Amino acid sequence: MPKIFIDDRAVEVAEGLTLLQAAESVGIPIPHFCYHPAFPPEGSCRMCLVEIEGLPKLELACSTVVKEGLRVRTMSPKVVEARKSVLEFLLAEHPLDCPICDKAGECKLQDYFEEYGLFKSQFKEAKEKREKKFKLGRNLILDRERCILCTRCVRFLNEITKTEDAGILNRGIHSEVGIFESEFIDNNYSGNLAQICPVGAITDTDFRFKTRVWFLESRESICPLCSRGCNIIMDSHAGYPRTLPTRRVYRVRARQNLDVNFHWICDYGRYGYAYLDEGREDRLVWKKGDRETRLSWDKAAQILSEKIRSLVHLRKNSRIGIVLHTNLTNEELFLADRVFRKGLGVEKLFLADPPPGKGDEFLLTADRTANRRGLQEVGLPVQAPDLKALSGLDLLLIFGHYLAAGTSPSDLKNALEKVETKALFASHKSGLDGLVDFVIPVPVIAEKNGSLTNIDGRVQPFVAGLSFAGDGIAEWRALLDLARELKVEHKYFSRLASPEAIYRALRKEIPFFK
Amino acid sequence: MDEKVLTRHFGVEGLFRIDVYRGQGGYRAVETALKRMTPAAVLDEVKRASLRGRGGAGFPAGVKWGFVPQNVPKPRYLCVNADEGEPGTFKDRYLMNHNPHLLLEGTIIASYAVGIHAAFIYVRGEYEAVALRLEGAIAEAYRNGYLGKNILGTGFDLDVAVHRGAGAYICGEETALLESLEGKRGHPRLKPPFPASVGLFQCPTVINNVETLSNIPFIVQNGAGWFLKRGLPKDGGTRIFGVSGMVKKPGIYELPLGTKLRTIIFDHAGGMKEGKQLKAVIPGGMSAPILTADEIDLPMDFDSLAGAGSMLGSAAVIVIDRETSILDVLKAVAKFYSHESCGQCTPCRIGTAWINKIVKRLARGEGEQDDIDAIVRLATNIKGKTLCPLGDAAALPILSICQKFRRELEGYLPHA
Ligand SMILES: Cc1cc2nc3c(=O)[nH]c(=O)nc-3n(C[C@H](O)[C@H](O)[C@H](O)COP(=O)(O)O)c2cc1C
Ligand code: SF4
Ligand code: SF4
Ligand code: FES
Repeated sequence: MPKIFIDDRAVEVAEGLTLLQAAESVGIPIPHFCYHPAFPPEGSCRMCLVEIEGLPKLELACSTVVKEGLRVRTMSPKVVEARKSVLEFLLAEHPLDCPICDKAGECKLQDYFEEYGLFKSQFKEAKEKREKKFKLGRNLILDRERCILCTRCVRFLNEITKTEDAGILNRGIHSEVGIFESEFIDNNYSGNLAQICPVGAITDTDFRFKTRVWFLESRESICPLCSRGCNIIMDSHAGYPRTLPTRRVYRVRARQNLDVNFHWICDYGRYGYAYLDEGREDRLVWKKGDRETRLSWDKAAQILSEKIRSLVHLRKNSRIGIVLHTNLTNEELFLADRVFRKGLGVEKLFLADPPPGKGDEFLLTADRTANRRGLQEVGLPVQAPDLKALSGLDLLLIFGHYLAAGTSPSDLKNALEKVETKALFASHKSGLDGLVDFVIPVPVIAEKNGSLTNIDGRVQPFVAGLSFAGDGIAEWRALLDLARELKVEHKYFSRLASPEAIYRALRKEIPFFK
Repeated sequence: MDEKVLTRHFGVEGLFRIDVYRGQGGYRAVETALKRMTPAAVLDEVKRASLRGRGGAGFPAGVKWGFVPQNVPKPRYLCVNADEGEPGTFKDRYLMNHNPHLLLEGTIIASYAVGIHAAFIYVRGEYEAVALRLEGAIAEAYRNGYLGKNILGTGFDLDVAVHRGAGAYICGEETALLESLEGKRGHPRLKPPFPASVGLFQCPTVINNVETLSNIPFIVQNGAGWFLKRGLPKDGGTRIFGVSGMVKKPGIYELPLGTKLRTIIFDHAGGMKEGKQLKAVIPGGMSAPILTADEIDLPMDFDSLAGAGSMLGSAAVIVIDRETSILDVLKAVAKFYSHESCGQCTPCRIGTAWINKIVKRLARGEGEQDDIDAIVRLATNIKGKTLCPLGDAAALPILSICQKFRRELEGYLPHA
């Protein structure tokens, strides 16, 4: 590991890093526009110039590779002056429409100006007039006046999607990002362009003019919409001012994880956040005939436990069925196994999942659930939810609203009518609601703590990024509550009071999760 | 001693034809090199000749060839830089038009020395006639066994192709040239890596100017000692000076390196036109910082001009008379670089355009007191901070004009 000196600080850094990466790794940020960790250095914005002892000119931090003994200055007057001059150049031809620009608040140009610029503009000439609303892609608007020509977008389309849709047209001051007239950026990763554009040149129609970024609260999460488990950031309103009271999440962004999704997420995951707020179950109800009674989970848990207890007591374990799905966390699937199968001897475990979609060669998988691998590794023996097998049961606990998919409504109705007691734990409304006795709202992945195992077997813990309000109960807690009510292995389950505690048990008991 | 080397036979009728060229001793150097010398011996001779690149930067050709790795399992390429875009420069056009086989001969020998089997001549887009002439010469060379497989029975193979540019100055910059040759936008590449290791199609590549390569046959045929005698110890051979502007006899003059600028203008180019008086000289193409009339006793070689804060560049001597407004000169320079900036990097893309806007405003009579300071400040912020040397090529002449002719420029500002 070469030892270098950054601003007189001796640091040891990994071989092969560039100065910019090396400095970043020890907490010294070097301003940059064109550099992006996903691509080889481009060296065009000239923002990252630093002073290297013994060299006459300033050198690029983004492309100079560390060498033993190198002495770098990142804040010398010469360096700061150079940064200022790059900012002055960029701003000379940049519109002053920050007040109406979606990027304001997270714009590199704005941030660096605050940090290194703060000069009075000396530009007296007319700025170039350029297209401000060029439709670049399905969700993308390009404002060519704001573009600083870092070519991140072009390189993304060349190197990541390999669709090569865009390029730089014209020359010199007339250079601009362009696409073929007959074309249009329309791929499943196009949303990343708005995210990697360091300024407000590429904006996302889904987010454009909806809010200001400083009102948003950013929370880390895992995308549950396919089995890749891309790491994401959910930007939601912290409360004030909520222009759309029904909508909490304004934007989903990629969060870097080089082992899973690099710097990207697919558009299916990026724009698929409506489910967080739409169509949610919001009331815990008990239905008798046409009558619906609201009740608390505690009450519902008592009723259900009573029912289970009597069946188990009569050795009618085989007349209990549990429908599971693979959007449950590792912890929940583990608990389902330990409570129902091992604890109560219930053998009829079914799996009802959303149908697969089309995967692509990159991140999106055909499996549109988050935790099939987790189910496999927990080792739950599940069977297909054959309606014949369901019908005639005395008690059916249905997790998830997916049972309704793929069966004809009338068949499902007939089958469920022949089940004495049916409780549905679902995050979303569905055709099942009218067919069951209990509807118990549950949180989605974004609203609970736990872990998921992605398609490659990577276990990814996460914490709730959004709060789960209302009548319902998280599945892991519901399972623990039932276990407690039923006095199943009290000593064992009483220690598992949180997803973290459950995960510890999981790690101890199942080698895969070590 | 007849000083001329490269242009010596220019008067010979039909020199561009292979038989005439051979009649003047042409292609003997190829025989010498390929049949009697090892590649290493050729390389060594070129190194000892202190032949510095004629394209602008003056890098020693032999040293450059020596950088090319011989042990990588990739083809190596030679690119002949015939883009000749530097304003004021027209020497390569003469060389290729009059004596295309000389360039081919140099190309063959250089390729032999470096172990290259494919060479491209990148010709300026506007040089259509030159391209045709080169293609004719190449066809002749193939027919006569100087190109193709097993050249002169020596087992050495070489193919040469002509590629025409599309009229961008930046494509004369060696890495932009490579991009352009690969069919991409002529955007200079970030260096390192240098073309000698990662060049055309990611393969080791030598890029040399037309005039540089045209010297090779003479070095091989007459030896480095002979060549050095025609120039300076650290700067061997002659240079073709392309003189333009307010002189009686504009044109190309092949003279030993180190010839005084005064001699070039007043003895060879016939002095100033009737009634005109010398005001300034741009000594090495538009990219070279300007010299005043007092500075023309400088010897014209790379080091002397660098010492005087200018550069020999492409040795295009642009002579400016007193009646020519320095603002017009500045306008031409600012406009050219703003127009030719590839636009890739921030300081050059925006800085050259900004300066151009100020200069245009100045020329419209709408100057403001701090305009010259602004131009100097902006050019200083371009200098040394760009991706390719075009930034400096723009900033340095502009700075020199503002410094050396500040009084005259101030005359264009509104009076306080
Ligand atoms: C903007 C720019 C334009 C250039 N144009 C030319 C050109 O037209 N012809 C040329 O030979 N070299 C040109 N050069 C220099 C080349 O980059 C390179 O140094 C040269 O071709 C190397 O050959 P040499 O070593 O034989 O001179 C240019 C350089 C720059 C920065
Ligand atoms: S649109 Fe954005 S990402 Fe693309 S070149 Fe311009 S500033 Fe860079
Ligand atoms: S200095 Fe000018 S020509 Fe060279 S890369 Fe930068 S913008 Fe292009
Ligand atoms: S980040 Fe180094 S030049 Fe842009």
